[in-house]
Amino acid sequence: MTGFILKFRYIIITICALIGIGSLLLIPRTKVDPDIRNYIPRSIDSRVQTDRIEEEFGTQDMVMILFSDSSILDQDNLRRIKEIDRGISKLGGVGSRMSPFTVSSISSEEGMMVVKPLIGDIPTDEESRNSLRDDILANDFACDIVFSSDMTAASVTATITGTIEENITTDRIDSIVNALPGKAEVMKGGLPYIRKSLLNDVRKDAIILVPAAMLIMLIMLRLNLGNWRSVFMPFSVVFITTAFSMALVPLTGWKMSIITVLVPVILIGVANNYGIYLVARFQELKFYNPDLSVRELLDSLLKSLNMPILFSGLTTVAGILGLLAHSIIPARQVGVLAASGVSMALLMSLLLIPSLISVNSTRLVPKKKRNSETRFFDRLLTALSDIIIRRPGRVLAIALAVILIFAAGIFLIRIDTNMENYFSSNHPVKLASEVINKKFGGSQTISVMIEGDIKDPVLMTDIDRMTNEIESMEGVGNVFSISRVVREMSKAIFVKGEDGYDRIPDSREAIAQMFELYSMSGDPEDFRQLADPDYMKAHVLVRFSKPDNKHVNPVNARIAELAKDMDATVSIGGYALIMSDFSESIIRGQISSLVFAVLTVLLLLALVFRSLKGGMIGSIPLLASIVILFGFMGFSGIPLDAATALLSSIMIGVGVDFTIQYVWNFNLQINSGLSWPDATRTAMRTIGRSIIINALSVMAGFSALIISGFTSIRFFGYLVLISIGSCLIGALLIIPAILLKFKPAFIGFKTNKQ
Amino acid sequence: MNTNMKKMSILLILLLPLVTVAAQQPNAVEVMNKSRELSIASSLSATLKLTITEKNGSERNRTVSMTTKSYSGGLEKRLVRFLEPADVRGTAMLIVDHKDATDEMWIYLPALKKTRRIVSSEKGKSFMSSEFSNSDMTSPTIADFKHSFVGDQSSGNQWKIESIPVNDDKADEYGFSKKVSYISKNKYEVMKMEFYNFDNELFKVIETKATFPMKDGRYMIKNMVASNLKSGRKSEILFNNIVEGGKVDDSVFTLQNLQQ
Repeated sequence: MTGFILKFRYIIITICALIGIGSLLLIPRTKVDPDIRNYIPRSIDSRVQTDRIEEEFGTQDMVMILFSDSSILDQDNLRRIKEIDRGISKLGGVGSRMSPFTVSSISSEEGMMVVKPLIGDIPTDEESRNSLRDDILANDFACDIVFSSDMTAASVTATITGTIEENITTDRIDSIVNALPGKAEVMKGGLPYIRKSLLNDVRKDAIILVPAAMLIMLIMLRLNLGNWRSVFMPFSVVFITTAFSMALVPLTGWKMSIITVLVPVILIGVANNYGIYLVARFQELKFYNPDLSVRELLDSLLKSLNMPILFSGLTTVAGILGLLAHSIIPARQVGVLAASGVSMALLMSLLLIPSLISVNSTRLVPKKKRNSETRFFDRLLTALSDIIIRRPGRVLAIALAVILIFAAGIFLIRIDTNMENYFSSNHPVKLASEVINKKFGGSQTISVMIEGDIKDPVLMTDIDRMTNEIESMEGVGNVFSISRVVREMSKAIFVKGEDGYDRIPDSREAIAQMFELYSMSGDPEDFRQLADPDYMKAHVLVRFSKPDNKHVNPVNARIAELAKDMDATVSIGGYALIMSDFSESIIRGQISSLVFAVLTVLLLLALVFRSLKGGMIGSIPLLASIVILFGFMGFSGIPLDAATALLSSIMIGVGVDFTIQYVWNFNLQINSGLSWPDATRTAMRTIGRSIIINALSVMAGFSALIISGFTSIRFFGYLVLISIGSCLIGALLIIPAILLKFKPAFIGFKTNKQ
Repeated sequence: MNTNMKKMSILLILLLPLVTVAAQQPNAVEVMNKSRELSIASSLSATLKLTITEKNGSERNRTVSMTTKSYSGGLEKRLVRFLEPADVRGTAMLIVDHKDATDEMWIYLPALKKTRRIVSSEKGKSFMSSEFSNSDMTSPTIADFKHSFVGDQSSGNQWKIESIPVNDDKADEYGFSKKVSYISKNKYEVMKMEFYNFDNELFKVIETKATFPMKDGRYMIKNMVASNLKSGRKSEILFNNIVEGGKVDDSVFTLQNLQQ
């Protein structure tokens, strides 16, 4: 190995540099995908159904422009809304619109059915404003849809078609709104704006987080290794592997998602570990053996560290590859990218770092150890080992009690797939979403497509029943359906008190003729969203004021139940449903990736320790950390979402290193003839210190996430501190205590060093 | 502008004097006026078949019978009765176009045995859910637009005239930013109309496929096709059983008759 490195060191350095440069050139080609629906495989039923429904009734993703003012019916406010609405109506990328100026009122006046705009002339005096207020409150298609019932807000809603890129349309809407300033506060929301903000914030996050993590890492490396020349070596591995992983995104044709930004941060946290071990060990070897040649130093270095580094790297890769069992697409991508990065870091640490050491060896100055630092670690670790040696049983009992307490928190864990919650509470998109959900029935929807003879009064009555039942359910804002239009028309055709008033007619012809009547008086496009031109398909659109799974799932279940009684084919789709599937994916993915990662790591540990029991004992700190992590999430209210769902696999991948390092070193001490307590003391003092430094440097790398623009990424940052911390405690408290208490037979396994 | 002329008959966008093609080249407004004047019929009855073809090729048909009569003072009355599809057969509409007052429209729904008066819809809105708008089905209101020739008009056998709504309100009402009409020089017949949306993109084309000769050298468009370039839908209107200038009794246009 040493000979190979010395022979090819310049070629190795050149190839690594070229990989780095090539990767850097590819990164600018990266595209961002802000659409969370693409996180779900296309084959999942809710996506298939949503695509089918959207093919017929167009996309239901809507932009909502909100106007808030205590006197929203003021002349100036209404004029401004009219102008903005007019501007939006002329945009090519906009499909159907709903605004105070598109809503019709259907009424019966002196025997006339009058279909007219809700606002004909903008009211100029108090009396006409009061009259308009009454009209709004009486109009099912206006109240809490285009005007809030408290008359403090109005909205213009537009669906976005695929004809023009969504961002161009939202930019043009922004220009229209900006060109028409006024008294009312304007907020913009809906999924296209959420996606736009995600797109911008993902880029912003990548630009801020990656350099911040790099900087923190540089400082950590400098503190650990003592001089910049030594820092350069592991840092170059971090830099090149991070660039390499991110270059895989455009190379594979993938797109950046909100969670892909975790990949560089994971690598910055993890990829330097092997380099730190190598450089620090080299400094130590050189310090104690100043007369050895470069070849001898390298030989000694690689012999002592290659195997543990290789095992550490492989277990980390195995843990991270657990993400492949996830059903969320970007989670699998993060798994592949991070695992590729760690593999590359491993390879480069074993080839590039020795090559760089051999080139730089004469100038590598060992770090001068500060007495205070050494004393601190010595005291801490000695105290810790004393406690463990004296009362390993009690240590284990306390650990078990703590784990059990955290286990209770697991039952409190909640899943959150609502994109609105990715943003902090003062983010404009979040504020707009709150107003939309509170005052305008929400922007996230379930779409129901009913295929049958829509003019059949039995089916129309069933649709009406579904509409009414669903609208009365908790968390539902508004429900739009063709049956509502029919009932509204019946109010204009019949006089109050007459049989047909506010009812679905009982003959097919009557319904058909009502539609014809409307097509002659209103605009048939008004309900193109609610029925197809042949009246063979109807669309029921459910808007959620509380778009979380707690409310979406019962609605979905009730629709499915009501659909059974219908003489029609019923398909259920929509964004809210995709999100519901998404949360199930998160749970399934979480369980399968955990099982995969734990089993793989257990197997690898069993191989490393040459004992199945060793593998099982080595897995205990990981299992404990998993319980603590989920328990903490449950107690603290941090939800399981697209980002935090990745944590356990990454934690397993990273945290397993600590156990391997400790058991490996403890085994060495036992093999060198020390008693179990003495071996514990020595292992704690030597490798314990490295493990703490390693854990701190991983935590430091991940701590950059705390400044992320996304709430869930920030939570991820906090949780990494908890989970790596618990892995650390597991490796330095639970494992030594177990080894001492049970003295397992596998200890004493042969290592290549012997 | 004369409301009577503007809505003169459903579907009649028509034209032309075989007669005098002025020796001197007319301006764009004169061409449009002349073309419109030739679309007026004193009375007319016909059946109209509307075929709407979706992008995927599926078709829907509607057939109506129609009778119109012009009165002095710009008043025009029109009775439309649905023949197909079966579930709307018997549905009838009576429309009274006043020159200077709001139009009146009654509709009779036989299944509900109810007659209701309704407020007529906007010009830009769809005619019977087709690609034709209500304004496509009436003679154009010349003063609602600024008209100008496009390019050199000295050669060729068609005038190409661009019509732009006079203001934003008109543009909103009609639902387009620009219309380009191709009018035959010899018959003043509208051969084709192109409509541009507010992004100035061509979104709809109406082509004349066949014309029907009326008295005094007038013509009506018998067959026309509207193609929506954005949605891929097409709508075709075909007139049959055309009787022009015959005697039509006033009792046709009463509420009693509507309900029969």
